[in-house]
Amino acid sequence: MKGMGVIARRELAAYFRAPAGWLIIALYLLLSGLVFSVYVLRPNSPASMRDFFTVSGWLLMPVVPAMAMRLFSDEIRAGTLEALLTAPVSTGAVVMGKFTGAMGFLTCMLLPTLVYVGTMYRVSNSPPDPGPIICGYVCLYLIGGAYLAIGTLASSLTANSTLAFMVTLFTILGLLFAAAPADDAPAPVRSVLYSISIVPRIGDFAKGVIDSANAAYFLGITFFCLLGATLALDQRRWG
Amino acid sequence: MVGVYQVHKSFGTVQAVRGISFELQPGQIAGLLGPNGAGKTTTIRMIAGFLLPDAGKVLVAGFDTASHPVVARQSLGYLPEHTPLYTEMRVGEYLSYRAKLYRVPSDVRKRAVDWAATRCWLGDVLKRRIGTLSKGYRQRVGLAAALLHNPKVLILDEPTNGLDPSQIRETRQLVRELATDRTMLICSHILPEVERLCHRVLIIAGGQLRADGSPAELTRAGGSRYFLQAREARVGDAERINKLWATLPFVAEVSSKPAGDKPTQSVGWLEWAILARPGSPDLREQIAAAARQQGILLRELRAQAPTLEGVFMDIMDKAGEAMTDPEQATTQVIKPGKEAAS
Repeated sequence: MKGMGVIARRELAAYFRAPAGWLIIALYLLLSGLVFSVYVLRPNSPASMRDFFTVSGWLLMPVVPAMAMRLFSDEIRAGTLEALLTAPVSTGAVVMGKFTGAMGFLTCMLLPTLVYVGTMYRVSNSPPDPGPIICGYVCLYLIGGAYLAIGTLASSLTANSTLAFMVTLFTILGLLFAAAPADDAPAPVRSVLYSISIVPRIGDFAKGVIDSANAAYFLGITFFCLLGATLALDQRRWG
Repeated sequence: MVGVYQVHKSFGTVQAVRGISFELQPGQIAGLLGPNGAGKTTTIRMIAGFLLPDAGKVLVAGFDTASHPVVARQSLGYLPEHTPLYTEMRVGEYLSYRAKLYRVPSDVRKRAVDWAATRCWLGDVLKRRIGTLSKGYRQRVGLAAALLHNPKVLILDEPTNGLDPSQIRETRQLVRELATDRTMLICSHILPEVERLCHRVLIIAGGQLRADGSPAELTRAGGSRYFLQAREARVGDAERINKLWATLPFVAEVSSKPAGDKPTQSVGWLEWAILARPGSPDLREQIAAAARQQGILLRELRAQAPTLEGVFMDIMDKAGEAMTDPEQATTQVIKPGKEAAS
């Protein structure tokens, strides 16, 4: 994976060179801040950040596709992919570098929300339980990583970043609401729909539970989508 | 140093490259010529590792680009066509990024960036964003990025694209200096540039290698051309004069057209173009003597030594015929001789 770090650092810096990166962070913090101050920070309510993590999980749905859409689409459109794929770096390292850079940006976006945690500790009579808070952040990372990987795969397939955004968004929506028609479906289909759906898993996370099956689900999506992106880029070498 | 062996590449139903083979040696500047869609860029992209061949193999510095892609690409500096760059980055940042990507050791990285920037006349724009630079400057950034890691093999696709005349001259000089211990392949559509710069010329058309040799060898393989204006004494004489030129020794091809732009000044005058066979002596005296003997009035006779452009056009014409007539598909490839190897 030599060269992965170099690509990741360039990718992370690229987010901050364009106004779009700052705008994404600003919008996310504005909305999550509103949720925190209106729903979480209420007098005489228990010191829990559950609502913040639930809403943050939903906010990742439009935000992450916006972060991922340009990862490869822009390179394909501008022709810089040729300079990248002729560098002495494996295709896997290119994909992992891009993904890691985007995860770095996700970290930069989530990092300021620690201010909310600090505020909770300061204003609460009894300090909040750190377990669910740590669990909440781990879950945001797992969900964000899976969404980003879906976006990376979509972006590696097209030069049109808007198309990559739409494909990512609809794939996430499909996974989110896969369980919606499950109750009317026959038993075997129902279990499949429940197992691929994200919504029940988000519910588990919000309770402060990191179930190994849920973690494996998100890590599995991440792994297979990144593998798919690597294969899609290698396929380009075959014409 | 670079070996391309029976390489084929198709895109859907289009056969872009059909069985191209050649080897390039260190210290040699080779030029790849061909019309648009001939397969030049596909060939270059296969050497650079951006594309993999459907059949055959490509070796760079002894490494197969399919089985050892990373090592092969480490030995190679590549300036792609249209010079793709990250426009939001500053020149210095971009060169430093490329140096890291090509694993230039950190202790010499700054020196490598400064060296490449100086050699490519970028000293005064290192802090400028690439997006604000002119086309010529961007071309130089791409060139500097290709040189940074001191590669053994350099592949430059249209290296002088967008440069002004003095920069073109300086780039040629740079290419000559760099070629002393490197293998270089330059893709260009500017024939005089290739003629002046390259030790060896490879001409591709229709996805096949049509000619391979030093510019002098290729030029010698083309015949001289003679242009003359003669007057037909009566209607129908043109045919007689045509036959006369065609029966002269060493003549390969004869064509004619009405002479001059102003018909009033050129009534009855025709202009002939006579292509001599390769290696033939000067035919001017012979043509003049034949005209005098047959009572044909000549008002102009000039010889044009064979040029690479002429040879290139002949090859393109033959390639066009071969595409439509498969029986003529065999092409004569001039193997690189001593001149090309030196």
